[in-house]
Amino acid sequence: MSSTETKQSVAPSATDRDERIQRVSFWKRALNRPELGALAGAVLVIAFFIVSASGTGMFTPAGIVNFLEVAAQLGIIATAAALLMIGGEFDLSIGSMIGLAGILIAIPAVEYGWPLWAAILLAFACAGLVGWINGNLVNKTGLPSFIVTLGFLFILRGLAIGVSRLLTGRTQIGGIQEHIPGDWFASLFSGEVATGLFSWMAANGWIATNFAGNPVVSGIPVSIVWWFGLTAVATWVLLCTPYGNWIFASGGDANAARNSGVPVHRVKISLFMFTAFSATIFACIQVMDTGSADTIRGLLKELEAIIAVVIGGALLTGGYGSAIGAALGALIFGMVQMGIFYTGVNTDWFQVFLGVMLLVAVLFNNYMRKKAMEAR
Amino acid sequence: MTTQTPMIEMRSVSKHFGSVIALSNISMKVYSGEVMCLLGDNGAGKSTLIKTLSGVHQPTHGDMLLDGKPARFKSPAYALDAGIATVFQDLAMVPLMSITRNFFMGREPTIGWGPLKRIDWKYADRIAKEEMARIGIDVRDPSQPVGTLSGGERQCVAIARAVYFGAKVLILDEPTSALGVKQASVVLRYIARARADGLAVIFITHNVHHAYPVADAFTLLSRGGSLGSFRKEEISREEVLNMMAGGAELENLDAELAEFQRNDRERKADGAPAPGHSESVAAAGHADAPAGERLASDR
Amino acid sequence: MTRLSHWFLASAATAALMAGTAAQAQAPQQDTSRFVMVTHGVPSDPFWSVVKNGAEAAADLVGAELEYRAPSTFDMARMQQLVQAAVASRPDGLILSFTDENALGSVVQNAVDNDIPVITINSGGDAARKYGARLHVGQSEYEAGKQAAERMQELGVKKGVCVNHEQGNQGLDQRCDGFVDGFNGNAEQLATTYDPTNIRNAIVAYLNEHNDVRGVLTLGALSAEPMIQAMREQGATDMFTLGTFDLSPGILKALDAGDLDFAIDQQQYMQGYLPVIFLDQFVKNGLLPAGDVATGPGFVTRENASQVIKLSSQGIR
Ligand SMILES: Nc1ncnc2c1ncn2[C@@H]1O[C@H](COP(=O)(O)OP(=O)(O)O)[C@@H](O)[C@H]1O
Ligand SMILES: [Mg+2]
Repeated sequence: MSSTETKQSVAPSATDRDERIQRVSFWKRALNRPELGALAGAVLVIAFFIVSASGTGMFTPAGIVNFLEVAAQLGIIATAAALLMIGGEFDLSIGSMIGLAGILIAIPAVEYGWPLWAAILLAFACAGLVGWINGNLVNKTGLPSFIVTLGFLFILRGLAIGVSRLLTGRTQIGGIQEHIPGDWFASLFSGEVATGLFSWMAANGWIATNFAGNPVVSGIPVSIVWWFGLTAVATWVLLCTPYGNWIFASGGDANAARNSGVPVHRVKISLFMFTAFSATIFACIQVMDTGSADTIRGLLKELEAIIAVVIGGALLTGGYGSAIGAALGALIFGMVQMGIFYTGVNTDWFQVFLGVMLLVAVLFNNYMRKKAMEAR
Repeated sequence: MTTQTPMIEMRSVSKHFGSVIALSNISMKVYSGEVMCLLGDNGAGKSTLIKTLSGVHQPTHGDMLLDGKPARFKSPAYALDAGIATVFQDLAMVPLMSITRNFFMGREPTIGWGPLKRIDWKYADRIAKEEMARIGIDVRDPSQPVGTLSGGERQCVAIARAVYFGAKVLILDEPTSALGVKQASVVLRYIARARADGLAVIFITHNVHHAYPVADAFTLLSRGGSLGSFRKEEISREEVLNMMAGGAELENLDAELAEFQRNDRERKADGAPAPGHSESVAAAGHADAPAGERLASDR
Repeated sequence: MTRLSHWFLASAATAALMAGTAAQAQAPQQDTSRFVMVTHGVPSDPFWSVVKNGAEAAADLVGAELEYRAPSTFDMARMQQLVQAAVASRPDGLILSFTDENALGSVVQNAVDNDIPVITINSGGDAARKYGARLHVGQSEYEAGKQAAERMQELGVKKGVCVNHEQGNQGLDQRCDGFVDGFNGNAEQLATTYDPTNIRNAIVAYLNEHNDVRGVLTLGALSAEPMIQAMREQGATDMFTLGTFDLSPGILKALDAGDLDFAIDQQQYMQGYLPVIFLDQFVKNGLLPAGDVATGPGFVTRENASQVIKLSSQGIR
């Protein structure tokens, strides 16, 4: 072709683009973030409860800590599940890993007198191994992680029950609380932070008292700190580090990622290990909190985590999503789970309420995202 | 030139996929500062050959040498580390990821140290934008997902990326198939520049207009085997065209089209034109290049 | 006769003799009774591990073979399949928790028709007898819930709440129904999930919203421990009357410390132990108690807690 023709074809398109640049404002770009729909969903759910639970204690400091704690525990595993889902895989063994990790902490500590930190390290080591096996099986066989980890859903739960019954004859092991004091590692997973601040606020009369006449909030439960911390780290990793880029790439198109030099297998193994670790963190917090381990702990948590991640705007097919979205998903989940007790709805309708609210949140989220895409 | 060590050399390389023999006993030398053009029918094994070179596949038999030293790439990451950059036929792009993220996928530029080591997004965005501008694509927003780009724009990202990272060897597998004339000419200029910079270039195309001007040598593959390498001096444009996918068939096509044209003219003379049909035949008839070459360039 | 045929006869006789001895040696083994126990208790439920311990102890004692089966989740269809499989294996006796008449009635009938004696445990009773079950070993859930309400009212509670961590489980629902009826309607059910944090925070949220509720009943160790923990955290154990079903080390300690007012024990060890003894007697001597055996409700309070603690740590209570 002649050079004059080339110039003619380029010139109008260049001016086209100039116009388009101006249209991409900061807000339009923000609207395109995966977590924005979830934020809208969270606002909707909060608005719902402000109206339907008005005058109740839901949005007092105590009520907030109450639902935040439920959200936080879910949020811890949801963060890891989000990274894994962005990386293109599922882990259905999270819930069972929670049960097994609890048993692995409780039995050595209570039955065999191990220091708690050693028992916790044992649980983390086993979790690492489970994640490593999960990841390698998925990598080597090429089977959907859905199937591979479903096997571990049963294996780990069965191991928790089997080991616990074999060694103690029971399925519930109590008496862990007395091992916590003085164990610095265990204290990372137990108690509350900023207790001084809260007693100071209570002393100034800024915090109300609860049904028992105590200051309603004595501190921030450690689970909330873990939740915020993990969400922040995961967000940093996803948005700012090469490893985060590899996660997106592995989930978006594993083959393309590998061909571009991304160590896809290593990324996936590390993500599976991280979900198992997050389940262990969950187990640590709950075991320290309740003072007991139970083989049934964590039942259906894998499903809740996946729900939270999807509410948070991640794609089930991988390659897209955010840790902040997962945190918002967990927040919505925790708020809805606890919120029913403030609305006066008979709890016989608990699961209907939960399902309807989650569905509404997801639909609204989806609607917002579509709107944002159109606006783009 | 022939006295120096080849930048990349294959010695009797074979690749089997189970019972499928995709490559058998291929030997090939590519020197730095030289463009090797791979020719062959669809399914001849061109993509398999370059995937073996770029570490996607490991050869079943045979050896590969990079700059005279034996090379075995366990994965594409190793080939990239060795300075071999590839534009794959499927582009190896992740549609959901941004242009910048795709551009630097697997080779992210970082700043900071230790746990604070992070991607230098400012630098990365700037380079991605600059490199895309050089290929003639004005990227309005480097954080735009690649999935929203047109096929040609996507190809340009892949090419710009390979050109940016290719230190010793640049491999392009049908890189111009979705490109407009302007971008295609930019790609050819790139290839010429890479050659001038002393890279070894391996180039796969079905378009003789693209292949002939830039190539220094041609290797013809057929059904997994090599029919030999030829220097450009030894071979004419027409011979290259014939070696390309179904050159003989195109000649037949030319004859057939001429036949249509003749029939059409006769029909017009009879005063019974076929509406709508006549236009396309006329276009074919009045085009200045033979239909065979034009069709080849349309791929 | 030739020498060869002599030899042949001799060896045949020897073989027959050896076979006879072998058969004799096997005879006592064939005498061992095989009992199958099918329950709805998910394997992780601490309550059912005590039942299983009881059954295993009894089986050891009488030298019977015991197979314990339970679905991995609370699932009547699965339970029905397990019982069907058990009947098909032709055991010498069948022990099962008869949680659902519709799902299990015909299967019990089938077992009885095949001359397999059936004893129901834990839940069942009258409903199961219609289908030919011999005996029931357990407690009436409704009655137990009602007695819990009465005990709370004696302790001065006007309004109560029943924390149900497994709505849809007939036994648990009956306990709550009995509790609500025992309060003449001045009580409510609070449905929660299995998750301990969830249970604890739900109780706290509920009590914050219902200032007049002073009695809390949980239906098992799973929910009792989070409740106790919530009350301890708030220093509110004295303010509320707290009761629970079942025993666990944690519950017993709370009883001992006075944080928990009572626990309703159905002595489930006996629900595992007795049926095996009964069936063994029935198989060996045709003996069977004439009426149902009530293993509960029995109230454990601070007074007898310490004595129970030891047994509990052994998985007997
Ligand atoms: N991963 C694979 N497994 C099995 N067969 C393959 C694989 N990759 C390529 N082939 C086969 O090898 C042959 C050559 O393919 P390819 O190299 O893609 O041809 P082309 O020359 O068109 O690029 C084809 O017959 C193809 O089916
Ligand atoms: Mg190809």
